[in-house]
Amino acid sequence: MKSLSSLKLHFLVCLMGAIACLSSASAATHPVSGEKLAAEQVFTYRMAAEPPSIDPQLVEDVEGSAVARDLFEGLLTQKADGSLAPGVAERWELNPAKTIYTFHLRKNARWSNGDAVTAHDFVYAWRRAVDPKLASPYAGYLELTTLKNVGAVIRGERPTSALGVTAIDDYTLQAELDAPLAYFPTMLVHATTMPTPRRVIEQHGDNWTRAGNLVGNGAYLLTEHVLNERMVRVRNPLYWNNQQTILDKVIGLIINDESQAYNRYQANELDKTEVPTGQFRRLQKERPLETFSSPRLCSYYYMFNLNKAPFDDQRVRQALSYAIDRDIITNNILGAGQIPAYTFTPGSTANFSVPDVALASMSRNDRIKTASALLAEAGYGPSRPLKTTIFYNTSEGHKKIAIAISQMWKQRLGVQVTLQNQEWKTFLSTRGSGDFEIARGAWCGDYNEASTFLDLMRSGSDQNDMRYKNERIDQLLAEARTLADPNPNYTEIENIIAAEAPIIPIYHYTGVMLLKPYVKGWPHQNVEANWYAREMYITEH
Amino acid sequence: MLSFILRRLAIAIPTILLIIILSFVLMHSAPGGPFSGERSLPPEVLANIEQKYGLDKPLYQQIFVYVSGIVTEFDFGPSFKYKNQSVNDLIASGFPVTLVYGFWSFVCASLIGISLGVIAALKHNSWPDYAATGTAILGSVLPNFVMAPLLVLLFTVYLNWLPGGGWEGGQIQFIIMPVIALATSYLAGITRITRSSMLEVLGSNFIRTARAKGLPPHHIILRHALKPALLPVLTSLGLSFVGMITGSVVIDQYFSTGGIGQHFVNAALNRDYSVIMGVTILVGSLTILFNLLVEILYAWIDPRIRY
Repeated sequence: MKSLSSLKLHFLVCLMGAIACLSSASAATHPVSGEKLAAEQVFTYRMAAEPPSIDPQLVEDVEGSAVARDLFEGLLTQKADGSLAPGVAERWELNPAKTIYTFHLRKNARWSNGDAVTAHDFVYAWRRAVDPKLASPYAGYLELTTLKNVGAVIRGERPTSALGVTAIDDYTLQAELDAPLAYFPTMLVHATTMPTPRRVIEQHGDNWTRAGNLVGNGAYLLTEHVLNERMVRVRNPLYWNNQQTILDKVIGLIINDESQAYNRYQANELDKTEVPTGQFRRLQKERPLETFSSPRLCSYYYMFNLNKAPFDDQRVRQALSYAIDRDIITNNILGAGQIPAYTFTPGSTANFSVPDVALASMSRNDRIKTASALLAEAGYGPSRPLKTTIFYNTSEGHKKIAIAISQMWKQRLGVQVTLQNQEWKTFLSTRGSGDFEIARGAWCGDYNEASTFLDLMRSGSDQNDMRYKNERIDQLLAEARTLADPNPNYTEIENIIAAEAPIIPIYHYTGVMLLKPYVKGWPHQNVEANWYAREMYITEH
Repeated sequence: MLSFILRRLAIAIPTILLIIILSFVLMHSAPGGPFSGERSLPPEVLANIEQKYGLDKPLYQQIFVYVSGIVTEFDFGPSFKYKNQSVNDLIASGFPVTLVYGFWSFVCASLIGISLGVIAALKHNSWPDYAATGTAILGSVLPNFVMAPLLVLLFTVYLNWLPGGGWEGGQIQFIIMPVIALATSYLAGITRITRSSMLEVLGSNFIRTARAKGLPPHHIILRHALKPALLPVLTSLGLSFVGMITGSVVIDQYFSTGGIGQHFVNAALNRDYSVIMGVTILVGSLTILFNLLVEILYAWIDPRIRY
């Protein structure tokens, strides 16, 4: 049964819709926890911006990814704690050489138009993601997976059919990698790898993601999309696990201004929003049951331009790193549970154990003493003070941190710092062209594994604005891809970073949000902040 | 008159072309591009994207392709930021919204502004004058980015009378706060121009003659004074109208109305070239159109003006 006639389909949708309504009306308690459920299962949340796209292969931002996770389901998905769970793939196996993954797809997965979700849909989607004609900004993501021929396809040297993904039959998908990659399954949670419906895309072209046109295989359907105003999803009766879904409707309201979003949260127009900057402590006191702070897979750091003297001198870089008191920044300036950073990779990263970096355990006095000694050794002191400029993109928060750091450097080392803020795109251009000495940086992991951070230190990385080169790191990174336990490699890399200080890790981000106490099932432990509406429910209130 | 209109419309074409070329060059000379981000794209990926949007071509060719797209198909190109939307889509979805709240803001601002101005002029240097000018100035010293949060705190958070934002197809309860916030920022200007122009007219000889003839005061004001006094007001109203119907970034961002006002700032920050061009051309054309309308209205109001 490849496709149902429209009449049959219509009937089926109505019937299943009716069953869904009946079951949610009668099931007044949560099947596991036994909590009383609200009659109206609607979740309304703030979206900080209109997403550039909700097309899985084009999604590039947090808000768009959240919508895509409701509308589509990839091979694998996540449990509340962020660990892997079967999605469309029920199970998978790996060949002895660890380069070929074979995924076995569930036979009851359907598109919202009734078609079966098959291995061909994944082949189509993955080829589409790297197709130069689609020109997805996330094509590079698939490049990280080292699927066979991925680079050549993106460069247009090989046809998309050369990509290392094959449908063995309707329900068996094979992915072939150039080299073993232990965390390949983890990477399949990302929207870029979610299936997309070929016939619908060919029929509607760029307009296929409009409400009414969009056909998905996720737990929800897009019913309304008003640009820059709202995105509404209702549950998809054809979703294979629809019986387990409780939440009927998800409304995303696009509200750019965070304080306005907070006002609307106060007026009960929203069930979830972010804590406005600088308000965490106050709100934690006022609304202890609704204010949450949880670690994120993101790091805030300063980078040096290693091509510019005196920052080609390791001693200078280290001295500046030692003289920064991270605790003051996290406690006194940020104050929302952020974690002082001494390594680039956040401690919350899966399977990553934070190495003991010397700097982390030193007392403040020792750090300052070491810093002064290092700087003096490099030839800077009261008679010849070090002068430099910190570049950051215009923002109150970045400014406060830059002021604090410049004060620490001035008081402790006599360094004279100029602060230079620039509008975002101008800043990126400055940083990318290497026209800086010290610049602010931030990085969020694409997948939950340390390499998503450490790859920035690779000499050829597109993100390596420091122009940092260390052959040992390149070698350790290449090797780590194939190891069952890459942690020793990561520890060594972090130790090299700490010693050579191409960057100064400053803090690891936390996500701070307000969530109404009746909203349950929010995955607070998921460091990637990937939430799935199908896991959530509203209790009686 | 007809030849005047035709002449003005003919001049409009090179004017708009000049606007297009100037903004195109200015925009492309700004550092960074639409596809730069915290995550730098691999060069091959960036190359594909630039090819897709024609950014790999020389600038003069890009301008040519862009202009010919507008002329032949009225196509303002795809948005670089919103992947599945064209500039036509963005304007088609946003402009009706700003048109509604902008129109009502204009009606409120001009009715209240002109009335306050007339009252102030008639009761020159007395308490109604001070009250009217005071009210208008209060509106202008509270910029709409201060006004908007105050309104929300009062009507949404404390009184719970109005929804804090959204549009929902333009239902009345969603329009009230955006209109108040937008109208008040134009109110002061309209009041002050009306007041000073009315004062001037009231002091002129033909009004003195009318008074001397013993005409009733309301007759003098409505029949004789108001029309000439409105001439300078009209000039500013034409531009205010364009300003209001193209919305405001504060209103759109704060009240999530979904209008096109937000694109003026966001598109520039995102380097969304085609959207910047689209809204620039829209405002440019509307400005030219309304200036022309104002001039036609001049001739209608003031018999001394002939084209």
